[in-house]
Amino acid sequence: MSVLEVNGVSIHFGGVKALQNITLTAGEWEIVGIIGPNGAGKTTLFNCITGFYQPTHGTVRYRGRNITRREVHERAALGIGRTFQNVGLVKEATVLENLRTAQHLETEYNPWIGIAGGASSFFEEGRITRRGRQLLSLLGLSEIAAEPVADLPYGMQKRVEIAAVLATDPDLVLLDEPGSGMGPEEAHELGEMLLALRKQFGLSIVMIDHHVPLVTRVSDYMYCFNFGEVLAEGRPAYVRNHPEVARAYLGEEPDEEQHARENGQVDEVREGEHVS
Amino acid sequence: MTILQRKSRKRARHAKADEPVTETSVLSTEDTESRESGTAPDATKELPRVTESNGEFRPSAGGWIARLLTWAVLLWLLLAVPGNVLSPFDFGVSDINLAIAATIFAIIGLSLNVLIGYTGQLSLGHQAFVGIGAFASAYVVTDLGLSFWIAVPVAAGIGALQAALLGAVSLRVTGLYFALVTLAYGLFAEQSLFSFAEITGGDGGKPAERPAGFADDHLFYYLCFGFLVLVLWLDWRLTRSKAGRALQALRENPKVAASYGVDVKRYTLLAFVVSGTFAGIAGSLMAHHQQIIVPGIFSFQLALVFVVMTVVGGLRNRIGVVIGSAFFASLGEGGGAGDGGGFLERTIGLPAEFTGIVIGPILLLVVITLLPGGIGQLIAPVKNWMLGKRFDRHAGKLKEVEVSDVRA
Repeated sequence: MSVLEVNGVSIHFGGVKALQNITLTAGEWEIVGIIGPNGAGKTTLFNCITGFYQPTHGTVRYRGRNITRREVHERAALGIGRTFQNVGLVKEATVLENLRTAQHLETEYNPWIGIAGGASSFFEEGRITRRGRQLLSLLGLSEIAAEPVADLPYGMQKRVEIAAVLATDPDLVLLDEPGSGMGPEEAHELGEMLLALRKQFGLSIVMIDHHVPLVTRVSDYMYCFNFGEVLAEGRPAYVRNHPEVARAYLGEEPDEEQHARENGQVDEVREGEHVS
Repeated sequence: MTILQRKSRKRARHAKADEPVTETSVLSTEDTESRESGTAPDATKELPRVTESNGEFRPSAGGWIARLLTWAVLLWLLLAVPGNVLSPFDFGVSDINLAIAATIFAIIGLSLNVLIGYTGQLSLGHQAFVGIGAFASAYVVTDLGLSFWIAVPVAAGIGALQAALLGAVSLRVTGLYFALVTLAYGLFAEQSLFSFAEITGGDGGKPAERPAGFADDHLFYYLCFGFLVLVLWLDWRLTRSKAGRALQALRENPKVAASYGVDVKRYTLLAFVVSGTFAGIAGSLMAHHQQIIVPGIFSFQLALVFVVMTVVGGLRNRIGVVIGSAFFASLGEGGGAGDGGGFLERTIGLPAEFTGIVIGPILLLVVITLLPGGIGQLIAPVKNWMLGKRFDRHAGKLKEVEVSDVRA
């Protein structure tokens, strides 16, 4: 049983066909990468999986359960966590406060008990604060725990966002451009971190990113979207060298691309390049 | 460690893991496993101990004494002076009336703060919330002959109920349109509900007796003060608990909140219910303060004063809202001053009508242009100092936070 199964999902906004018959699966502990030019429908697919959009056709299954009509917070409770393209955090609050906010479902007291100031809420608050600190130290973010998120550099905010998603205790994490705004070095570190986190937390990950080297390195399976359709799918090396993919990204004739690779010029240049 | 234990519990629940379906995933897990080995930190290792940020400020002995003295003076002003205990001043009947009105307005301000500050919804019909609470309480005491101690929860419950109804509306209509809905609700209450003589006693008003033991003005002040402390406690715990954080996330970005598992409807309604409960309590106290409550005072103008005092006090700043509300009450708004008139009327002869329409808007302009954090921003350095922190002139400065819509 796959963790996530997207079967023939289409979504139309008026006359615009944002997604057409998308089928995608993510297995247990698998990292699935999605690449594709801007406007290809990658984030739209995430919105269908998390419930912000209702697909026009098709179903979304999570561990065999049909969740196509479930509400966003119900899907979160099932264990689907996600990050956003531009940082999804409470900017005015501190990093630690954000981690507490993210543990909403983990906080095991009734909100009314919390308002009345019941003793159990105080214990529970202490517990989730400790858990938040543990997570921060696990990701090497302890030093910025007291900083307001708005004061942090963009790349750091992205890392805090990943910490916040982990705090929701997800099984399946959808990462929307985790590497945006990062240089090649940072993107490399991010890749290492994702592989380590997958192991430590037992996560299945679906990630969108424009850093093709990052995606190909960490992914087990890869999809390339273009104009709301799957252009190519398969093992990263296959997708990356797929002629259609190169054409969609670079608008280049596949023959030239092939030619350049044979001469060994492309790889060194492309490795650190931010393709967008 | 807890993280991992919880994780494993969940994994057992799903009983997954060992049955990969697609061929690709089998291949790939092996593939990455080998790549990872050695680099991944061992999860079972003891996590590093996290300590509080070092170099924390500790006041000196003299600093502690100064702070304790300030606290003592504050408590003396709030508790001893109004009761003419240990006090050289003569706190007369009109003074104590203003003090009572100040506590009641503070509760109303906190009620509006929950709506405007925490949920970001503007209510222009709050006079109806308070008014319905007031008449409910008067009805319970006068017509049903029950005790004040039953009337207050009833008023709070009715306040919560009407707020929940408006909250249901707010799930569909937001922003300015919601403000219009509340405006219409307030006018509706004013024109129809409050003109039923059976409920409100008509223009002559409805009597609302004070509870036994609190008939005296000075004692009634302590009762109102007690309720203010209760409301402050509830509001404090609200912001420091799960619900407050959920509301903060909802206000800043509903999508992020929902992705954390926050039930948007449930928590929006919760905020409205809390606000309505506070308004109901305030209404009940107002009725029993004035002893004969007339419908005429719950006019639209009062709703505007409520909004202005909350914003001038400083949204999301508990102490600021209390001070702002108390200030407007001391001007004699809402008939709380009785015959003596407001503070300015008695000292420099400015009539209450004047203060309401002139001072309020001027303060509002000052707040919008110069002091976005209101009075709360102004007093933040003193507040932090009194709580044992360093005196920092810039403590209350609001940071310019770029609120960009999160794309999703």
